[in-house]
Amino acid sequence: MSNRTLPRLLQTPAVVLLLMWMLVPLSMTLFFSFIRYVLNNLRRPEWTSPDIANWRGFGNYEYVLYQAKDFWFAVQNSLFIVGSVIFLTVVFGLAIAVLVNRTFPGRGIVRVLFISPFFVMPAVNAVLWINMILDPVLGLNGLAIEGINNTISTLQNLPGIGSFFALWPEIEPLSFRATQTSAYAVIIMVTWQWTPFAALIFMTSLQSEDQQQKEAAILDGAGVWAQFMHLTLPHLARPIAIVVMIQAIFHLSLYAEIEIVSRGNGNKNLPYLIGEFASNNIGAASATGIMAVILANIVAIFLLRIIGKSLMD
Amino acid sequence: MAGLTLREVAKSYGDTDVITNLDLDIQDGEFVVFVGPSGCGKSTLLRMIAGLEEITGGTIAIGNKVVNDIAPAKRGVAMVFQTYALYPHMTVYKNMAFGLKQAKTPADEIDRRVKAAAETLEITPLLERTPRALSGGQRQRVAIGRAIVREPEVFLFDEPLSNLDAALRVQTRIEIARLHKRLGTTMIYVTHDQVEAMTLADKIIVLRDGNIEQVGSPIELYEKPQNMFVAQFIGSPKMNFFKAEELNDKGQSYLKGEADIIGIRPEHLKLAGKTDALITATPDLIENLGEIALVHCKTASSMEFIAKTTDLSAFPVGKEVKLTANTSVLNFFNSTSQQAV
Ligand SMILES: Nc1ncnc2c1ncn2[C@@H]1O[C@H](COP(=O)(O)OP(=O)(O)OP(=O)(O)O)[C@@H](O)[C@H]1O
Ligand SMILES: [Mg+2]
Repeated sequence: MSNRTLPRLLQTPAVVLLLMWMLVPLSMTLFFSFIRYVLNNLRRPEWTSPDIANWRGFGNYEYVLYQAKDFWFAVQNSLFIVGSVIFLTVVFGLAIAVLVNRTFPGRGIVRVLFISPFFVMPAVNAVLWINMILDPVLGLNGLAIEGINNTISTLQNLPGIGSFFALWPEIEPLSFRATQTSAYAVIIMVTWQWTPFAALIFMTSLQSEDQQQKEAAILDGAGVWAQFMHLTLPHLARPIAIVVMIQAIFHLSLYAEIEIVSRGNGNKNLPYLIGEFASNNIGAASATGIMAVILANIVAIFLLRIIGKSLMD
Repeated sequence: MAGLTLREVAKSYGDTDVITNLDLDIQDGEFVVFVGPSGCGKSTLLRMIAGLEEITGGTIAIGNKVVNDIAPAKRGVAMVFQTYALYPHMTVYKNMAFGLKQAKTPADEIDRRVKAAAETLEITPLLERTPRALSGGQRQRVAIGRAIVREPEVFLFDEPLSNLDAALRVQTRIEIARLHKRLGTTMIYVTHDQVEAMTLADKIIVLRDGNIEQVGSPIELYEKPQNMFVAQFIGSPKMNFFKAEELNDKGQSYLKGEADIIGIRPEHLKLAGKTDALITATPDLIENLGEIALVHCKTASSMEFIAKTTDLSAFPVGKEVKLTANTSVLNFFNSTSQQAV
């Protein structure tokens, strides 16, 4: 036995297990995506069991791409939500990390408070936001708008300046369950939940920033903003890349928030669409799944291209 | 071009006073070196001059302008840090241009100054590299270059050579001396290294616990230390102190008035003739450095001291010898006040 064989042999069970873990579901999905397979069809009972005889070729793909109306919308929405959340969490995360990085009394507590949204379960997060904050009647949103409207109507009754305020319209609260706005609600709540994650990673990285470089920059006449742009931001390139990557992976599969906000009305991403298909049409769901995998890979390659470099050096 | 005037400058962190009531005058164009034991406040003083550290009391003036409330960048000082503190994500060129850019200097002027500085420091081929791709010595030059391009009125160096190997340290030391000669700018330099202090300085300032112990030219400090601390701090190995009981009758006859200690540098001790012996001692260990040897001796009362000699045969280990030194190089101190007499 050469000295390579034994380690290989010992690794085999793990490798085999991992392969099965990955390959079995993937190949089943691949198989289902090429056959007709539904859970319930009284007219064609033979379609309700996965069988090679029900081979449909690219029929499921054609159906998803051209007949089912939501696919392109879901792709677009997936990218919109993921992109917005990443952008917002990085911006807010940077701001918070830089602010909390200086020493002040109670810093420990403030840091823990900043992190706490991350420990809230996604479904709970969504319920809290949509009912207690964003609800146009009962939520903070509705209460605040109502308060403003009440103030304005009081002012309108005043003599003199009342005529000026009479020109003001009554403000309508935004409903976040509407078709056009439910994606924003999801973006807001996911951003709230994941900003701490970004901030936490940036904070640890800020600790290792070289103070003498900053002092050199101060002597060179760099203001706070110039220091941030020329020293802090390049220093954070790697953690930013990590935050972007991890969030891209996680948020492509958002589900709970979308379900709770609007049950997919006006706001679907690919996982949600797959879920909808899977209530009956497993073939279409599988085809969508395969395309989601392809999309995820495109995103991954794209990300590796632009930010992989900062991870490498 | 500017000198510096420090008046009653003080610095404390909370309750701990690091520097108390320090007065100091530095002439325009002078090369001043701060020395002192670790933690005595050298870096703090330098950073106060730079404006990186707020001062708790007193005034600092550069030229004739009090700079207490002036931003670091506007004080006309440039600093070279011990760790170089180059901007890691910028090329050498951008590192050197950064300060000028912040000051909104026209691009062609920046280019001219950076190229000229690079030429002087012989780093022109490195301009497009990042600091990561440079050796320690090269980084050092870039750090100096970054200071030069700003054409400051005062250069501040905080132990700039301590991260270099011995050979490079000597070379860079000489280059800094040349640079000072060429630019004629005021330079303030912090170091632990005796040789750097002695060779570079027009004026050495010896600090201890945030106080100035003595100010003077290197030779003054070497020949006429004002107190026992400076006497031992300048020179290596340090000056030997002999009390009355270690001295012969002849030696004791020199102690007059306040003086009760004679200080003799190791390099001044030599074998005595018939009549001029000051000390009787026994060599017990020899460190031979090649060009010279350090002879560790013990007096009858077991006090240890060091003699520096080129003539080893004069110091047989284990045999009593009589030692002396020229009267012109003797230093006298009072043991209670620690001051020179
Ligand atoms: N931020 C700070 N808070 C409290 N004490 C400080 C602070 N910075 C420096 N000190 C104290 O001030 C004193 C002087 O420090 P400084 O760095 O100036 O010493 P130094 O002479 O440069 O020493 P070294 O030769 O080791 O570099 C030290 O006793 C140090 O402990
Ligand atoms: Mg120091």
